[in-house]
Amino acid sequence: MTSQAQILPGTLDLLILKAVSLGPLHGYGVLLRIEQISHGALLIEQGALYPALFRLVRQGLLKASWGTSDNNRRAKFYELTSTGRKRLRQEADGWNRLAAAIASALDTQPEEI
Amino acid sequence: MSLLSSLRSTVSSLLRRERVESDTDEELRAHVQNRADDLLRLGLDRAEAERRARIEFGGHEKFKEECHEALGTRFLYALLQDLRFGLRMLRKSPSFTTVAILTLALGIGVNTATFSLLNGLVLRNLPVPHAEQLVRFGAHDPGDDYAALSLPMFQEFSRSQKVFSGTFAWWGDIVLNVETEGTLSRADVWTVDGNFYPELGAWPQIGRLFSSEEENLSAAAASQVAVVSYGFWQSHYGGAPDVIGKMLKIEGIPFTIIGVTRNRFTGMSATLEMEISLPLPATHLLGGQPDLQKYLKRRDARWLEVAGRLKPGVTLEQARAQLDSLWPGIREEMAPPDKTSAELGSFHELQLKVESGAKGGSLLRHRFEKPLYTVLAISALVLLVACVNLASLMLARAASRSHELSVRVALGAGRVRLASQMLTESLALSAAGSIAGCVFAYWASRALAVFILRQIYIVPAELNLSPDWRILGFTASATIVTGVLFGLAPAWRATHEDANAALQQSARTLGGGTGRLGKGLIMVQVALSVVLLASAGLFVRSLEKLHAVDPGFHTRAALDVSLFPKPGGYKNLALVDYYRELTDRVSHLPGVVSAGMMHTRFGNVLEWTERARIAGTEAQGQEADFEMAMPGLFETAGISLLRGRSFNWQDDEHTPSVAIVSKNFAEKLFPEGDAIGQHIDVLTIRKWQNLQIIGVVSNASLYDIRKQPPPTVYLPATQYGDYMGWSHVLVQTTFPLATIAGPLRQTVESLGHEYVTSIKTVRQNIDRSLLQERVTAMLSGFFGALTLLLAAIGLYGLMAYTVAQRTREIGIRLALGAARLRVLKMILREALALVLAGVLMGLPGALAASRLIAHMLFGLSPNDPATLAFVTSALLVVGTLAAYLPARRAMKVDPMVALRWE
Repeated sequence: MTSQAQILPGTLDLLILKAVSLGPLHGYGVLLRIEQISHGALLIEQGALYPALFRLVRQGLLKASWGTSDNNRRAKFYELTSTGRKRLRQEADGWNRLAAAIASALDTQPEEI
Repeated sequence: MSLLSSLRSTVSSLLRRERVESDTDEELRAHVQNRADDLLRLGLDRAEAERRARIEFGGHEKFKEECHEALGTRFLYALLQDLRFGLRMLRKSPSFTTVAILTLALGIGVNTATFSLLNGLVLRNLPVPHAEQLVRFGAHDPGDDYAALSLPMFQEFSRSQKVFSGTFAWWGDIVLNVETEGTLSRADVWTVDGNFYPELGAWPQIGRLFSSEEENLSAAAASQVAVVSYGFWQSHYGGAPDVIGKMLKIEGIPFTIIGVTRNRFTGMSATLEMEISLPLPATHLLGGQPDLQKYLKRRDARWLEVAGRLKPGVTLEQARAQLDSLWPGIREEMAPPDKTSAELGSFHELQLKVESGAKGGSLLRHRFEKPLYTVLAISALVLLVACVNLASLMLARAASRSHELSVRVALGAGRVRLASQMLTESLALSAAGSIAGCVFAYWASRALAVFILRQIYIVPAELNLSPDWRILGFTASATIVTGVLFGLAPAWRATHEDANAALQQSARTLGGGTGRLGKGLIMVQVALSVVLLASAGLFVRSLEKLHAVDPGFHTRAALDVSLFPKPGGYKNLALVDYYRELTDRVSHLPGVVSAGMMHTRFGNVLEWTERARIAGTEAQGQEADFEMAMPGLFETAGISLLRGRSFNWQDDEHTPSVAIVSKNFAEKLFPEGDAIGQHIDVLTIRKWQNLQIIGVVSNASLYDIRKQPPPTVYLPATQYGDYMGWSHVLVQTTFPLATIAGPLRQTVESLGHEYVTSIKTVRQNIDRSLLQERVTAMLSGFFGALTLLLAAIGLYGLMAYTVAQRTREIGIRLALGAARLRVLKMILREALALVLAGVLMGLPGALAASRLIAHMLFGLSPNDPATLAFVTSALLVVGTLAAYLPARRAMKVDPMVALRWE
């Protein structure tokens, strides 16, 4: 297992949107999905998850509805709204640009200056 | 996200707060369960898995708070939490809460009550559609408020004016004998023209209002129909619908009832329901004029009150300008042609008065407007004192909650949050207080209005006190301002709570207590109390001075018996002989010393003044009070004959006109020389010429005892038939009113022409004329007592708290040998120092306030030293009493217990 990375501030929302974009999830599922798609590298603090989910619902990026989970438990499922989908695209683009820029900055060798 | 949907989500999550709460709970529980399932799969046992899951997840409540923040409802959630917590704290100290709510209820209640009265009397429009468009106008003598027009004048105005969409006229507010269903009573009778009801938007409750035929002003005879008020219908007919078509008799003249107006319809009066209304032509039947057309066409007789409804967009000023421009022409045209120019003098001096009619007429407004504003100012001061008082009580409470507050600060509570907690509590208190206050105000304003109206009116009168947006707005703002005002000090203190203090034991024993802020508040409270008490004291002392005034006639043991004719009672009656017989019989009743008739009565609010001058001269004349007297009056009233002779029964219409004047009148007109035998003319009444002065009597203030006795002229009613009926018998008696009332009534009844409408002592009538001073003194005295009580509570609270705080210190002092009496003195001295400082602060304010009310005082200088001395000593006494109990407790502190305390 790779060592776990610190989540950068502001990226939790992006990760949640991404996780949910792959299919409706309940809260705990979001946690597991992020762990899964980051190959265990990103571990979300459980306490931070719910306030973030509520915030995203309030901003209209996610919508929530009650359903039944795999193990027959009543659970609240979150899915992306169309605004959420748009936001995910924008944020992902932004993130990719930033990451690419930082990566290229970090790759710079002394002779390239 | 749009503002709207954000708002919607906030509102809906708030509305569904309980559900959101349980939703969140369920979701978080499900999360923990899921985690536990996974841990179970890793091989842990059930209990351990659940425990681990819960630990990993952490504090439930903290999440909920964060979730609320995420949902945007944190502020409101916090508010509800504050409210709940506040209410719990208030429940925990019921005595504080009771005192606070009672204080506020009285404080807000007296303000709402006073404002309701002011609103009903001064601010409120008549309950008719677009009352603001109504404009009253009429012609009046300079110096006389009564403004009216003759019917031809009114018709001319109505034809020529362009500012009103309609004009209407009425006559009345005359109390007459009315027979309904065989019983005789007195009722307020009015006559109205054909436009009156339509212009005021009136509809009948049952039946109909007057038709145009009934209102036909060119008819040969008046229709004998009547419309009665809702109140009259209820009180005289029990609200029975078959009242329509029934007959009632006014002064013996029959009228058929055709309709009932709606409840609370008061026409153009603010206070009087129009008990019985007749068509305008019927006026002549009541006036005893045989010829209707002759009666209506009198061009110079001003008897109609009139008003118009402004066209949309026309202002009162524009209306006044146009009516003023029409007036000289109309006056010229209406001048009686058969009179000499000298006789027309006063007619040509008539002026036009144009004023808003939106609020309706009322005798009371003029008398009570100023007193009510003053009382409102005083009651605002009461509320302010209550605020300061509560602020210091709250502060003392906050100080005892100091530990709780600093723990909250230490745990990270924001200062704003603590302050808002305090403000929430104070607003909750003031809201509770204002609800109780409204109940109090509802009762108090009605009781006071009834008290005032019963003194003034003999017919049903009412003030509209029902809550309207003004009263609601006033009370709501008083509530909020109050809550914020007395919550500010503790809130401010809460934001300065020291987190470390919680951890230091010493802070709980030698704390600064309510400190300088608390003492400052008590001083402010005392200072405000000084201002209030000084004003109240001045009003009460003014009333005392008024009661002590010697008006120049007997006020005790003298009864005023008002007489009213039975229907047709004066018909074919030789009035002089009748009154001679009546006076004779009354003065021979057991217990009666003497009796005499007069035309008006002592303490009559409507003074009767005329101008008189030496006969045959062209002098300006001397303004004088006038009164009609019959033989026996001067002896009975205690007005002594100084020179000449008194009236006797031989002075009648066939003998030369005579007059008796007061000493100061004689001195004014005949400074050197004898008044007896001289002749005077009355300028204002043409018929009263060349009256010979036959006597001089001592000075008296017949009508307004506030004034120095004015020059007065007495005429013998026996020489003026018009002034003999509707009179009063003044009776000097050694019996109490209750004993003599029966025989008096029977004596009047036995002669068969009149009946007694009321028997009052002269003192009661004088008191009635002092009603506004009495109401002001009564209310401000009540408020003063309330303020003293509040001062006592405030000081007691502060000193009790100080003593509790200093128990340890006092214990040490006692342990070191301090005398117990010295401890008592120390605490008392501290309290009195506060009171004295407050008094000194308040005195300049009191002096300033007394200047403002100087014009309402009687016989006192505004900075009356006796009042100020009384106020100061009252506060010192109350201060000593309030501080005594805590001081005694301090004296009784057991040093051992005090030292072991903690």
